Amino acid sequence: MGEPVVELERRIAALRTALRMAALAGEKEQARALRAELRAAERAWDDLLAEDEAGAGAERPAGTAESPAGTGEGARVTERPGALMPLREQVHEALSLLTVPAAPRLLAAVHEAFFASSFPTARVTSLKRDEERSFRLAPYARPYYICAALAADRLAPSRGLLAVSTWPAERRMIGSLSPRVDFLVSAIRVADAIGRLPAGSLPADRLLRRFAANIPGVPVHSATVDLRMVVQAAQAELEVHQAADSRVRRAAARRVRELDDVQQLFGARFGEERVSG
Amino acid sequence: MSGTEARLARVRGRALPRSHNARTIAALAANPGCARRAIMDAAGVDKQRIAAYTGYPAPFGQSRFALARGTAFEAQVKASGAAGLLTLLREHLDLPIPEAHYDDLNDVGGNTDLTVRYAATRQKLATAVTSAADAGTMFDHPLLRLEVGGRHAFLEPDLIAFQLRGRFHVVEIKSFAVIDGQADGDKVAQAAIQSAVYVLALRQALAGHGVAPETVADETILVCPKDFSSQPAATSVDVRKQLTVLRRQLSRIARIDDLLGQLPPGLTLDLDPDGAGVPQRKPAGLAAAIRAIDARYAPECLNTCEMCFLCRDEARGTTARLGRAAREELGGVEDVPAVLRLARGEHRPEEEGDLAEAAALLRSAAALRAEILGEAV
Repeated sequence: MGEPVVELERRIAALRTALRMAALAGEKEQARALRAELRAAERAWDDLLAEDEAGAGAERPAGTAESPAGTGEGARVTERPGALMPLREQVHEALSLLTVPAAPRLLAAVHEAFFASSFPTARVTSLKRDEERSFRLAPYARPYYICAALAADRLAPSRGLLAVSTWPAERRMIGSLSPRVDFLVSAIRVADAIGRLPAGSLPADRLLRRFAANIPGVPVHSATVDLRMVVQAAQAELEVHQAADSRVRRAAARRVRELDDVQQLFGARFGEERVSG
Repeated sequence: MSGTEARLARVRGRALPRSHNARTIAALAANPGCARRAIMDAAGVDKQRIAAYTGYPAPFGQSRFALARGTAFEAQVKASGAAGLLTLLREHLDLPIPEAHYDDLNDVGGNTDLTVRYAATRQKLATAVTSAADAGTMFDHPLLRLEVGGRHAFLEPDLIAFQLRGRFHVVEIKSFAVIDGQADGDKVAQAAIQSAVYVLALRQALAGHGVAPETVADETILVCPKDFSSQPAATSVDVRKQLTVLRRQLSRIARIDDLLGQLPPGLTLDLDPDGAGVPQRKPAGLAAAIRAIDARYAPECLNTCEMCFLCRDEARGTTARLGRAAREELGGVEDVPAVLRLARGEHRPEEEGDLAEAAALLRSAAALRAEILGEAV
């Protein structure tokens, strides 16, 4: 709970006292004005608390039912396999399927479609922070880290995108065409993964549809989306962008090697990146 | 300039300043003659709070649910490098397939300072026009600046799209639904004038780089949820009319210095908070200070201005309260009792002129009414 809340609480208490005094003194106008102030302060307090709650909710485990299940209830484990895995492994699984940097929301949808469990996206923000902290304490102690994708121009963390530290650096660089390229690659990977599923599933179908609707040349109004068509159409557009995109990404990857280890994975902050000269 | 700043700071008092945004500029342009709004906005006064404190809380303000819905819809349209929006633009502007760049201007290397973002936006957009190579298609949350009444206001359009052989298009994402091709007229009008504000700001930003104003299209794109789904749909909105209005109104917004010059010297809207942040100022005193600044009330203010209830109360008995059309019809006579006196013939203006003409019209109107209803006015 942050300082602003405490500050507001102090103000609300002071306003209440002032309001009581004004009411007792029969100063109607002043009392009404103070009541308006009090209401505004209370609303601000509500808002702040809601924010904190959203943040704190992220720290808690996803569901209470899962936590005691760690004792090894076999049936339960096969039922919802992903739910028992730590968040970082779930994110890693989803990222490994897509093979490109992605936003938490997409990762959650992918995990739901192919690993039968989803995770609250709000928790992912703290995950990235934890990973950075862990890396700073003991660099390369873990086999992989969930890290940032970097904006190709300034090598700062790209807003909201996650990547895996073991990927080649250029895959984590984000130029102006990269979001589109990564979207198309994700579409192909998702279509491939659906092809490997023994039976269709609703979340997977929904995910594919979301991709297909935004790739030119894929008819989406039929009952089923043709997997082959998605792959072909995505590949066709990919060919248009890929050369220009990899040029930018490779150039950025060359520059990123001049940064220190932490910055290479988690990005340079504004003003810091001049290390590279 | 520093004198003006100091004077405005005194008007604002100890509260934190609020800055202009597209909404407030649109509202200001809708009523450029209102000194009260111009001064309060220029000083960055929290009008909502002041209005509530004086006992006239504003009837609107954005609801938390509406804001959440708006944010969610925008996030949906912009997900995965604005993939949804790109599809719309390809259909709508015939955007060629290679044009699929996406630049995030929400921060500059993690820095969200407004001046830094503004500089980065200008540089990016100028490069997009001048360089021969592909240098951008979609610019997410660029930061622009517009001079209003002698002060700069920072503006943040949802997105600017640039088409290689064509021009810049301002894209506005709104969460009100377009049902069967129809949307709420007021909301569309508001979105149009906001977009016009962005077009103007974008033209100003690019003018510094020698880019012709026509490079920014006066046709903007409105993206709304379609029918009862959350599926986005794009509509073109021609803002030429809004642009003309806006330009004229902005030039008419009297320089803030002139307006400040007419105020009583010590005037302030400070709430006089004590150590614990409890306002000590008497509401009546604050209201009196507000009334010292001239307002120009019109019923349209009820849609756009936080001070509207106070001004409406103040405008009781004046023709302004009947709306602009009625006011003009009544020949520029300021208050209702005077109009009635003229109509009843109790007051006959001596000299020839506008007033005499208005009086004659009013008398004949009264006669007609009496004839039809069979009773005197």
